[in-house]
Amino acid sequence: MILLSMILVPVLIAPLAWFGEKLDKNLPKYLSLAVAAFLALCTTFLFVKYPGNGFAFEEFYRIYPPFDFNLHLAVDGISLVLIGITVFLAITVTLSSWHVERPGAYFFLILLFLGPMVGVFASLNLLWFFIFWEFTLVPMFFHIGIWGAENRIYAAMKFFIYTHLASVFLLLGIIVLFLSTHTFEFEQLLKASLSPEVAKLVWVLMFIGFAVKMPVVPFHTWLPDAHVQAPSPISVFLAGLLLKMGAYGLLRWEIFMFPEESKFFAPLMAFIAVLTIFYAGFRALAEDHIKRMVAYSSINHMGFVLLGLASLTAAGISAAIYEMVGHALVISLLFMIAGYIHHKTHTWYISELGGIMKKIPGLMTMFVIGVLAAVGLPGTAGFVGELAVMLAAFDYYGWVMVIVPLASALSAGFFMWMLQRAVFGPLRESLKELKSLKELPMIENIPLAMYIAAFIVVGIFPMLVFNVYNPVVDTFAQLFK
Amino acid sequence: MNVNFLAAIMILALTGAFLPVINRLFRISGIMGALISSVGYVISAFLVLISDSGRSLLNSFFTTDDVTRLIGFLILVASWMTMLVVYWVTQRDKFVNELIGSLMIATAGALLLISAENFVSLVIAMELMTMPTYLMVLFAFDERSFEAGVKYFFNGALAVGTMLFGISLLYGMTGEFSFAALVQNLFKDPLVALAGVFILAGFGFKLTAFPFHFWGPDVYDGTCPGVAALLTGISKSAAFIALMRVVYEALPVISGKFAFIFALIAAVTMTVGNLLALAQKRVSRILAYSSVAHAGYTLIAFAALSVPVSITGILYHSAAYVFMKTAAFLSFAVFLYVWGARTMDDYKGLGKREPLLGALFLIFLFSLAGVPPMAGFISKVFVFTAAVDAGMTWLALLGLLNSAFSVAYYIWIAKQMYLEEPVIESPINNPFDKKFIVIPLAVMAVFLVVLGIWLGPVVDASTVYASKVGL
Repeated sequence: MILLSMILVPVLIAPLAWFGEKLDKNLPKYLSLAVAAFLALCTTFLFVKYPGNGFAFEEFYRIYPPFDFNLHLAVDGISLVLIGITVFLAITVTLSSWHVERPGAYFFLILLFLGPMVGVFASLNLLWFFIFWEFTLVPMFFHIGIWGAENRIYAAMKFFIYTHLASVFLLLGIIVLFLSTHTFEFEQLLKASLSPEVAKLVWVLMFIGFAVKMPVVPFHTWLPDAHVQAPSPISVFLAGLLLKMGAYGLLRWEIFMFPEESKFFAPLMAFIAVLTIFYAGFRALAEDHIKRMVAYSSINHMGFVLLGLASLTAAGISAAIYEMVGHALVISLLFMIAGYIHHKTHTWYISELGGIMKKIPGLMTMFVIGVLAAVGLPGTAGFVGELAVMLAAFDYYGWVMVIVPLASALSAGFFMWMLQRAVFGPLRESLKELKSLKELPMIENIPLAMYIAAFIVVGIFPMLVFNVYNPVVDTFAQLFK
Repeated sequence: MNVNFLAAIMILALTGAFLPVINRLFRISGIMGALISSVGYVISAFLVLISDSGRSLLNSFFTTDDVTRLIGFLILVASWMTMLVVYWVTQRDKFVNELIGSLMIATAGALLLISAENFVSLVIAMELMTMPTYLMVLFAFDERSFEAGVKYFFNGALAVGTMLFGISLLYGMTGEFSFAALVQNLFKDPLVALAGVFILAGFGFKLTAFPFHFWGPDVYDGTCPGVAALLTGISKSAAFIALMRVVYEALPVISGKFAFIFALIAAVTMTVGNLLALAQKRVSRILAYSSVAHAGYTLIAFAALSVPVSITGILYHSAAYVFMKTAAFLSFAVFLYVWGARTMDDYKGLGKREPLLGALFLIFLFSLAGVPPMAGFISKVFVFTAAVDAGMTWLALLGLLNSAFSVAYYIWIAKQMYLEEPVIESPINNPFDKKFIVIPLAVMAVFLVVLGIWLGPVVDASTVYASKVGL
């Protein structure tokens, strides 16, 4: 019941948040926080009781067995870590949205998003996975479109149509897979044997669906628009969770399921990954819009995730999952602060900023810490993730991967240059008299501090994360031997 | 035909027929008329539910199987909700009882049509379903409805004529009308194929399949949206079931030839429907062209007629369609009545003015677009599964791409309603009972969500039917 309640409670509480606004303007956010706390409680329980390997907490709800349309929920180490991230971000996003306009509808959509999100990571039935996966688009569409920045409507439409179009390929892949195996169940699909042609077709179709969500070059163009126009807390959901859905789907439903085809396509994945890393890095270097720059650095990190997955070794996959966690924490912080910078200076552009460290040292210190983590400062999650991915890639692909560390230098380049221009140096004339340029209220600092604390803790003690899923990854890595 | 099912049809038709009479005699008010017809609906829905027991009669003309019961029940519910909304939006009109009476008789015709197993009864049922709608389309809404009425009448007459010509060819060859006899007597012959093409063309008019779709948007747009809801939702779903019976029960001998024709028509119909829908500025025309596109999706399942899951696709899509399309038009009707909103520009910010109605409209639109967990999603899954299973992966891919692009105009309406600022300042009608009108629409939304997750009833019925027709 615990997993089902984690999906249903947010969805069922959601209308209360909407209607509750009429009673009390503060009710929706407290409801959202209460639900997040409930999810945190459940997740803690899952972490504590998780036996260490394999699927646990299985729940099976018969809905229509002849079509294999049954809600089958379970978590293993990998889903557990991602559910943990979901819940962590649910808390921080709620706190960051404390003073949002029209809180009823806003938190209604947040709650409507959280339930399916848990469902994506906990579903062992492919069709239900797709249902949860697709449903998350709807709340995100309205979040971007209603609470977003100037160009929000364009971004929301593009986001919805683009990612929905990608899902269509995923759905076709699922249908073809079902017709060859007559099952949607993960464990039965693992055992099922497919003809190589069908398997390759399914692999490619599903890969398009996942690659757009991750996103990787050349399917990434929805992301900068969506992330930039979305309100900052929603950028956190987009970067922290929506992108992870793509990577998780790729891992669980393609790499584990089609080891042979994945081996066949691994060089392609690695190539796309390296391309993504460099392309996004150079785009970020050229970007003057501060949030767009963070968005491209986010794509850059997802390239590392894909590279780790493409190595098809236990070490690489573990590193990729770790990188997902690190990315979720670091990029969330950067998105939040980029949003605050715009909020306080009324400009998005690095060239119009300068020396704001002097006015808001507290916020900017956190920003610098976040940037250093994104660059890969030892002692933060960014370092461990990138290093582990690179090691795995070296191991598998050899010296070709010597170019990847260069990308790290690239990311150091664009971040440091941005810091120098926007944050340090003399304070710009136009910003001197700005009344709005002051430190954040306490409640909005809490989530930022939570991100920093989290990525430092998992950076210093990476085994906290690795230990949760390493046995699972080791088991699946046997498939590639 | 089961005697209870027949009684359900009779009660529905008689209630509809006597409603205007009662009104002439006693001058009933709107709410009384809605109550009387609701009683008729409830009784006949109950009779449909118990129609698996009891004697049966007229067996060479009509059948009552799981498909009839299931789709009949869904059509009744959808029609009942349509009746309530139509009553509400036309309550000031003095001919409202005549309109509702026609609606009920047309629904009775639809119930007959889905049980027809004989070409004679099929044509009679189709005429019973269509005749009242000729009147309803003319129902004075504005001067455009006159053009719509004439167009609809001529197209309808042409459709029946075409179909009758095909039927007469079959009769000339075999001397039989009933499906069961035809399937035994027909043989592979060019003339049979020709007859099949005529019958198919007749259905094509009813389903607004390309190239017979031209009347559809004009009529749906020209008439009162409540009537359009009946025409595009209920009567089209019933026509799909009738076509399914013709294809699987009477003409399996030429189904091999038909598969490709269906595939071609499906591909063109959905593409044309979606492309034209994208170009529209009036919401009713968008819904009308989306209805053309949905005819295309259903025809994909027909194209896959060699595999059993195609029946699931047809049934599921008809079942989902009867709710989502009817309800979408009804939401449009309510917005038109309250806010006078016709065009996309009028819809700006309406979601902020009517949060609940807007949210329901969104559910219907998302269901039409195929977003889970609504029934429109799972029905598309079945349709495309059928296509892939029958070896038409290209058709499935085309359908899925169409479905993905169709999202653009559904989401465009959502965008207008929720992301833009309102342009209409005040409602043109603001009746005191506005909050109750949400109830019928909410009922339909619940049906959509339940059908989207609880696959049992529809898939079981289709499995039974598939084994009956030997798939």
